[in-house]
Amino acid sequence: MSEAFSAATTSRELIAFRIGEQEFCVDIMSVREIRGWTPATPLPRAPGFMKGVINLRGAVLPIIDLGARFGLRTSEPTARHVIMVARIGSRTIGLLVDAVSDIIQLTDEQVQPTPDVASDHVKTFVKGIFAIDGRMISLIELDRIVPESEAEAA
Amino acid sequence: MSDDPFEAIKVTFFQECDELLADLEAGLLAIEAGDADDETVNAVFRAVHSVKGGAGAFGLDDLVRFAHVFETLLDEIRSGRKPCDDPTVKTLLRAADLLADHIAAARGQGAPVDEARSAGLVIELEMLTHGETGAGPAQPADPDPEVVLPEADEFDFRPVVFDLSTFEAPAAPASAGARWRVTFRPHARMYANANETGLLLRELARLGPVAVSLDSSALPDLADLAPEESYLSWTVDVDTAAGEAAVREVFDFVETDCDLTIAPASGAGGAVASADDLDIAALLARAKADAPAPEPAPVALTVAPTPVVAAPPVSAPTASAVASAAPAAAAVTIRVDLDRVDRLINVVGELVIQQAMLAQRVVESGLARSSGISVGLEDLELLTREIQDSVMAIRAQPVKSVFQRMPRLVREVAEMTGKRVRLVSEGEATEVDKTVVERLAEPITHMLRNAIDHGLEGAEDRLAAGKPAEGTVRLVALHRSGRIVIEISDDGRGINRERVRGIAVSRGLIAEDAVLTDDEVDNLIFLPGFSTADTVSDISGRGVGMDVVRRSIQALGGRISIASTPGKGSTFTLSLPLTLAVLDGMVVTAADQTLVAPLTAIVESLTPRAEDVHYVGGHDAVIRFRDQFVPLIDVGLVMGFRSAPAVPVSGVAVVIETEAGNRSALLVDAIQGQRQVVIKSLETNYQQVEGVAAATILGDGRVALILDVDAIVANARRRSARPDLKLAS
Repeated sequence: MSEAFSAATTSRELIAFRIGEQEFCVDIMSVREIRGWTPATPLPRAPGFMKGVINLRGAVLPIIDLGARFGLRTSEPTARHVIMVARIGSRTIGLLVDAVSDIIQLTDEQVQPTPDVASDHVKTFVKGIFAIDGRMISLIELDRIVPESEAEAA
Repeated sequence: MSDDPFEAIKVTFFQECDELLADLEAGLLAIEAGDADDETVNAVFRAVHSVKGGAGAFGLDDLVRFAHVFETLLDEIRSGRKPCDDPTVKTLLRAADLLADHIAAARGQGAPVDEARSAGLVIELEMLTHGETGAGPAQPADPDPEVVLPEADEFDFRPVVFDLSTFEAPAAPASAGARWRVTFRPHARMYANANETGLLLRELARLGPVAVSLDSSALPDLADLAPEESYLSWTVDVDTAAGEAAVREVFDFVETDCDLTIAPASGAGGAVASADDLDIAALLARAKADAPAPEPAPVALTVAPTPVVAAPPVSAPTASAVASAAPAAAAVTIRVDLDRVDRLINVVGELVIQQAMLAQRVVESGLARSSGISVGLEDLELLTREIQDSVMAIRAQPVKSVFQRMPRLVREVAEMTGKRVRLVSEGEATEVDKTVVERLAEPITHMLRNAIDHGLEGAEDRLAAGKPAEGTVRLVALHRSGRIVIEISDDGRGINRERVRGIAVSRGLIAEDAVLTDDEVDNLIFLPGFSTADTVSDISGRGVGMDVVRRSIQALGGRISIASTPGKGSTFTLSLPLTLAVLDGMVVTAADQTLVAPLTAIVESLTPRAEDVHYVGGHDAVIRFRDQFVPLIDVGLVMGFRSAPAVPVSGVAVVIETEAGNRSALLVDAIQGQRQVVIKSLETNYQQVEGVAAATILGDGRVALILDVDAIVANARRRSARPDLKLAS
């Protein structure tokens, strides 16, 4: 995914979304669709950010609570929450966020490296930050969202 | 001759060999049963001939040599020179088995062929061939392999090799006999009947030195060339001592399909063609006979056989159609990548679920049943069902591919045990999912071995018991209520219950004073570690017993049962799902979660009574089930859906049996019902989860997890071993 970034033109489209008071964004090309929250079937012995699985037109789609994954906070999802269906590697994953705000055009020059103030945990997922219309938005690296199996076993 | 495209053709060749072997065996069995006509014999001959032809093209000399001897005998039978009596058919059947071995060896599968056995059978076949008629001049017993190789006719790939050496150096000794002039003009019908001028000319060449000239004057321009028409004629001068009758015999099969004159030639020389002329003539003849559409002769001249067969999907049906050439029209088939079919099945599965959800929404919305939407929806449901059935049918295959391997097995086991056995199979056309078919072979093989080795008595015992000396083993497949049922029955001695009981007691499988019904005794043979053979025999006692069979059947979501009548025989009944894409499940609720337990694992369900539940060491509950205490596992707790144990008496205990044969009871809150569910993988987008076999989607659109009962039982055992182990939630 990141290779596609650098190889393409410097301008690209991102989807911005909100978790609590913070704004994040991901590459629009990796997002397949956006749908409302439906109750998920919990999985036994799954990490806390794994909300369970839902039925996406016959496929079993795991739902990751992005807020919990970033260590921000966990809240019970409501009908107003949103699931972004994203393609990560060979898997299709649902990402639970509070709301999708807009689509942003961005050039690579506008992205700044993640400042040192952020915790290591956040830095794992945030590739960079940028300011647009007076908002600060963090650019998310989706590849790191899904934990490796061995990391999960710990 | 071993570059890559060639390898691909070779793969196709071996696939066709499988079909040809099946035809061969089916034909021979029909002959053995006495219901064979001329066409059957011809089909058998063609099968061996096609194998030989293809093998020649690939330079598989061992296979060619054996196939040739086999074919020679079949040719004698086909032409009526050799009667096809019972011992001959038996030999032919064994030859067919060995031919299969040769093919497997050439393919690089299985052990190399036992040379001694092969040589022995070759001698046997040759003796049968020559036993009564002797070697005729036209039927050389041991031809030069080079003569054999170009005989790749009838088969689809025709090497554009025309071996002139056979003309220049006749196999039969030249003699100072008379010279005959043969003029030969084949009709198109002769080619349509799969005869070949080249072969006839070569036959002639065996009689003595020949001089061949081609008359191509009738050959039109390419634009006017009708591909199926015959334009060429030949004049052959042959020097032979064999006489006119022998010359005429060469054309025996084609006489009615050609203009033929055979007359004494005057003087030597005559019209002798140059080698170049002859070569082109032969190639033209071949190109003409081969080409389904007008094909420029130079192409056939310059290119290797590869392009003709470069597309296996096209060439394969053609070849098999030529090979079988049965009176019935060959079924039209296409070969489709399995992935595509699976994708289609998946999408249709989604369609079915979506349709069910839509129907539920419509009902919830309170529309009248007579409304246009409801009526339309019902039609949609019917169509959806039909699509699903049709799509599932694509993956379905007849069990024939497994059944047709069994006659050979039965013959071999019968030979080893010295018993006389007749195998009767029924329902070969019964269809079941491809994966199921593939995994059926092993259990059926094992059970057939058992039936012959343990079930059937020896001939004397049978006669003494008033039964025919020949034992009968029946292998039957049929559809019954959405499942495939396979029955393997013998008319042998039945299960010796006393002995089975004795063994079970001595192995500690049951208590000495256990009271068991006949049925329960019979089913003891499925217990792990049980084997009734007093001595470990080569055939069925390979350290695995019926428990292995049962486990492989259960792994397919199937069940196995036995019915036995002493002195009359035993019947094993396998019941399997038609597909592995769906599963019969019991839908249960535990800690507000809907879960599915595979029905095959469930023994029964019961409501626990307080006096039946006991606690061992404080935490581990057991429940009394038919005078036996089995562990009571709280599913909600083990799966981490709740932290406090449930109260047993308020729930339902589902008694399950693990693959190892141990029983446990799963404590759930309620049973919702029994349902067929579509299996969905969790691993596609997530990962394997302990205690969960897969997921499914219920009618309300929610995902439900399918329990892996074995893992749950193992997990519960680990938990009780370490009671302080807390579950991650």
